[in-house]
Amino acid sequence: MELFTPDFGLVFWMFIAFAVLFVVLAIWGWPVILKNMDARADTIDNGVEYARQAKEQLDNARAEASKYMEEARQRQAEMLREAAQMKTQIIEEAKNEASLEAQKVMDAAKVSIEQSRKEAELQFRNEVSKFSIDIAEKMVRRQMKSDEAQKELVNKLLDEIEKN
Amino acid sequence: MTKKLTSLLVLLAALLMLPQTALASSHEEGGGEVNVKEAIFHHLGDGYGWEVPFSHVYRIPLPVIVRAEDGKWFCFSSGKLTEVTVYRDEATGKETEHLTPVIHEVERDGKTYRFCIAHESTHKNKVVEIFPLTPAQEADVYAMTVAQGTPGDPVSIVDGYVKFDGVYYREYKPWDISITKNVLALFIATIIVTLMVMSVVRWYARKGFKAPRKGLGFMEMLIDFIYTGVIKATLGDKAKKFAPFLLTCFFFILVLNLLGLIVIFPGGANLTGNIAVTLVLALMTFVITNVLGTKHYWKEIFWPDVPLFLKFPLPIMQLIEIFGIFTKPAALCIRLFANMMGGHMIVITLVMIIFIFAAFGAAVAGSSVVVSILFTIFMLALDVLVSFIQAYVFTLLSTMFIAMGQEDGHHHKDGEAMKVAGDDIAV
Repeated sequence: MELFTPDFGLVFWMFIAFAVLFVVLAIWGWPVILKNMDARADTIDNGVEYARQAKEQLDNARAEASKYMEEARQRQAEMLREAAQMKTQIIEEAKNEASLEAQKVMDAAKVSIEQSRKEAELQFRNEVSKFSIDIAEKMVRRQMKSDEAQKELVNKLLDEIEKN
Repeated sequence: MTKKLTSLLVLLAALLMLPQTALASSHEEGGGEVNVKEAIFHHLGDGYGWEVPFSHVYRIPLPVIVRAEDGKWFCFSSGKLTEVTVYRDEATGKETEHLTPVIHEVERDGKTYRFCIAHESTHKNKVVEIFPLTPAQEADVYAMTVAQGTPGDPVSIVDGYVKFDGVYYREYKPWDISITKNVLALFIATIIVTLMVMSVVRWYARKGFKAPRKGLGFMEMLIDFIYTGVIKATLGDKAKKFAPFLLTCFFFILVLNLLGLIVIFPGGANLTGNIAVTLVLALMTFVITNVLGTKHYWKEIFWPDVPLFLKFPLPIMQLIEIFGIFTKPAALCIRLFANMMGGHMIVITLVMIIFIFAAFGAAVAGSSVVVSILFTIFMLALDVLVSFIQAYVFTLLSTMFIAMGQEDGHHHKDGEAMKVAGDDIAV
């Protein structure tokens, strides 16, 4: 039954050996290992989380970029359209302006033409009246050599005035 | 793989053919029948020296530290307690070596102290201090042998006396803290565990957050397996506080178990199959559980939540609970001890089959060798598994017992479930 009776010496040394081992490992061993293992697990978790976030951010950024692109494209199209519009407008305006100017010039020309025509008319009239007076004078001088003829003329003129 | 297997089979077949007569005859010279029980207990037990591989006679001497009857401490080599003598068989001319015990005499302060390893005594295989008998004592010894019905018989053992070479001496069992085979194995295991753990620590110091590979990775996996799977799962927030003790327990037991399976020098000591070792381990758990136990734990023992008649006039539950305080560590102690000792005992018995059957002739002996070796290999492989399982179970149960002492009443249901689980495994 020697197997079932604990030997004092072995109990003594076992206690010492275990106590020493425990103290050594409890101070320099296990806390360091557990801390490092925890820290590494945390680092890995953080890394995964970070990667996930980074991916999310990248996706966001990509979506944002495409949004900006779309916006820019839209704006470009708008600008193009606006430019085209402006172009036609400017052309229209220029046209209008030009026609207006032309009108003005034409009007002015018309006026001056009218004026010159009137002047010419007046001059012509004056000349015609002068000529006609001259002619009339000459004719009258020749015809009015008799009194009778003079009288007849006066009557005729008076008739005319009466008719009017 | 198959090549190796065939070569192994060829080897075994060759062993079968081997004429066994030489073996058998040399055996008879060694003292007739093999004492199976003696051999088993010799292998399971402790020793003052450590056997050199393949020799039954030569041992590595270890220091013997004893305190004599008058309070003086003595330290000497265990080699002084034994002697190798050569016996010459006159008939065959063959020489055999034997290990014989001798008395080691030390002179100190004009006094002679005698020590020897007791064989025919109640302190078998232990170092005892011996004193020559006074006439009165001689009469006393004679009277006792008479009382045993064998007057002066050289084989009778009498209390307080040791017989050495047929002469009785008065014996005194000194305080014995010798560095025996088991103690040395204990130190070796301590160093191995320290190195194993410190190598992981050194890795962290050097490589920071890089995960260790190979051996260190395996160490870390084991640590994580125990810490996360057992300690943290059971103790929760308090895991950090008790982890050093529990992890030390696990690795210490594991290394001791595995060292015990190695047959030659650094191993071979049956430590976890020694009740002294498991007793100290279980006592540690016992002390930690009860000294650090919470108020709620003690309340559960002295005033548990059961119907009043179970605890009031007759303290039935209290008795059971108090009994339970002691049975839990006792179960821890006995389980580890019995499992490991049983494993060793089976392996040795299987090896002994060879010698038991050797008496029945060559053919039987040959086949018993094959059978015995196959079974031994199987058992040793199984013992590797058992080594791990027992270390794990010890740690698991220790964790549960400690966790029971750490209950604070908030997680009552969890605690109950855990307790039930713990008791189940304890059975």
